[in-house]
Amino acid sequence: MTADLSVDLGHLRLRGPVIAASGTFGYGTEVPLLERRTLAAVVSKGIFLRPRPGTPPPRIVETPSGMLNAIGLQGPGAEALLRDYAPLWSAWDFPVLVNINGETVEEYGELTAQLDGVPGVGGFEVNISCPNVEQGGMYFGNDPRAAADVTRAVRRRTKLPVWVKLTPNVGDIAEVARAVEDAGADALCAVNTFLGMSIDLHSFRPRLSFRTGGLSGPAIRPLALHLAHQVARNVQVPVIGIGGIAGPEDALEFLVAGCAAVQVGTATFADPRAIAGVHDGIAAYLESKGWTSLKELPRYLPLD
Amino acid sequence: MFEASAPLSERRQVARDMFVLGFDAPAVAAAAKAGQFVNLGLQPGPLLRRPFSVYRAGGGRVEIVLRAVGEGTSQLLSLREGDLVSVLGPLGTGFRFDPAWRSVALVSGGLGLAPMLLAARDARAAGLSVHWVHGARTAWDLGSEWDGEEATWATDDGSRGFQGSAVAAVEEEFGAVLACGPNPMLAAVAERWPDAQVAVETYMGCGTGVCLGCAVPLTAGGYDRACREGPVYRAADVDWPALPSHLYYTAVPVASPSRPSPATGGGEVPV
Repeated sequence: MTADLSVDLGHLRLRGPVIAASGTFGYGTEVPLLERRTLAAVVSKGIFLRPRPGTPPPRIVETPSGMLNAIGLQGPGAEALLRDYAPLWSAWDFPVLVNINGETVEEYGELTAQLDGVPGVGGFEVNISCPNVEQGGMYFGNDPRAAADVTRAVRRRTKLPVWVKLTPNVGDIAEVARAVEDAGADALCAVNTFLGMSIDLHSFRPRLSFRTGGLSGPAIRPLALHLAHQVARNVQVPVIGIGGIAGPEDALEFLVAGCAAVQVGTATFADPRAIAGVHDGIAAYLESKGWTSLKELPRYLPLD
Repeated sequence: MFEASAPLSERRQVARDMFVLGFDAPAVAAAAKAGQFVNLGLQPGPLLRRPFSVYRAGGGRVEIVLRAVGEGTSQLLSLREGDLVSVLGPLGTGFRFDPAWRSVALVSGGLGLAPMLLAARDARAAGLSVHWVHGARTAWDLGSEWDGEEATWATDDGSRGFQGSAVAAVEEEFGAVLACGPNPMLAAVAERWPDAQVAVETYMGCGTGVCLGCAVPLTAGGYDRACREGPVYRAADVDWPALPSHLYYTAVPVASPSRPSPATGGGEVPV
């Protein structure tokens, strides 16, 4: 028999634990060869209220076991998103959450209000790794109070699931996690990419036109696992683990470390079937243990 | 689009440091059109796939042409017959052909020869007369394979054919121009033939349209994706100064004298 892989994230039940990470799955229509039965949910490419052109190339560079990206949140804006994609999403048998971004707290709120209630929009993942224009460009996610302000602005405008995607580029991730939990987040996603840099020794300049970029891929997995575990120990809401997950063992590590679900991102670039591989591998692992449900998986969450 | 675990079934040298590899991937081979590419995954290997223009396709086999320029290409060139590579493709939007043109010039430089054999095939199928103008640094760097009727060679040092660039070597008028080569060469193509179709080279992440890593800056503003809307563009539609003109694929070759660059150390590359 097939093990029950469904998970509950607050009031949201997903048919499996593997979610497509924002920015690695487009708007759900692009990735080929996907076995959709294994997909629990999709988080859309990050969107702002208005269209954004993105950063000049080069936008990506491969690094040891990872990649740096600085795409600049290129996107069509809320209006085009609702026109071109939401109608497609409303016919799918898994939820699509929209990854939302803003330059001000008010902009996050306004974007949420525009998307809330539109058929096809299944919830929100709040990207707090954006510079706060009103605070001299300091990232919302680096400041527990600003992170909580953004979370509240979104929470006030929707009853749909609100996930907050935490940045690892902070001193104390647990403090930010508790602040956004208190502000009403239904789940926390840990973690976003790590800030990184690579220099081109032909031009003596950064390889990315944006100078810095977000590091993803297996290179960050142990770092991300540690942070996801710290978050899981410090909040009551479910935690969704993210960071370099490419295979079922990687995902199981995050689940044992206290995560309720995982997101697969960069791995999809190399293998369009990566999500299916993770999902089916978890099922096979549970069956090999004689377990009938993911809920039987032991968790490592010491209280000290 | 297909994904196949495809065995290496062909390897031959076609110029100094330049090799053709063939993989048995019948569905990909049957579907490939000129200007499209395949994204090759190595396991074990680098994290990301490596994109290559389809050089030849037929008889169940997809061929690519490459030089060792970094980790991925070096690993590909060390494969043995029967070794498996994940072939994802055909990807991207290739060249268009219109019988009304009557004639077409294929203009390529260096590894820009990659899409030209298929372009000649598809152009002939559209009833066009084909003239290939191909340039490289020296006679040793020109590709040796061409099954068309008319070809003009150009070399920087004049060791074979016209001395100068492939663009400068084009003398006649043609109904259309299709070009591929280093981005500075394609910028020169855009100056001379704004309506030419050019196949650009960019860094690439996924190859399937999701990562937005292969951004091509457009004169109309904004970016689109070399892997989906491209890699073939109308030459004048690309904002050439904003497109990186030189792509460096590896972090090591400038660093250590004890570790010579694979791009110049032809003797290291198994034939």
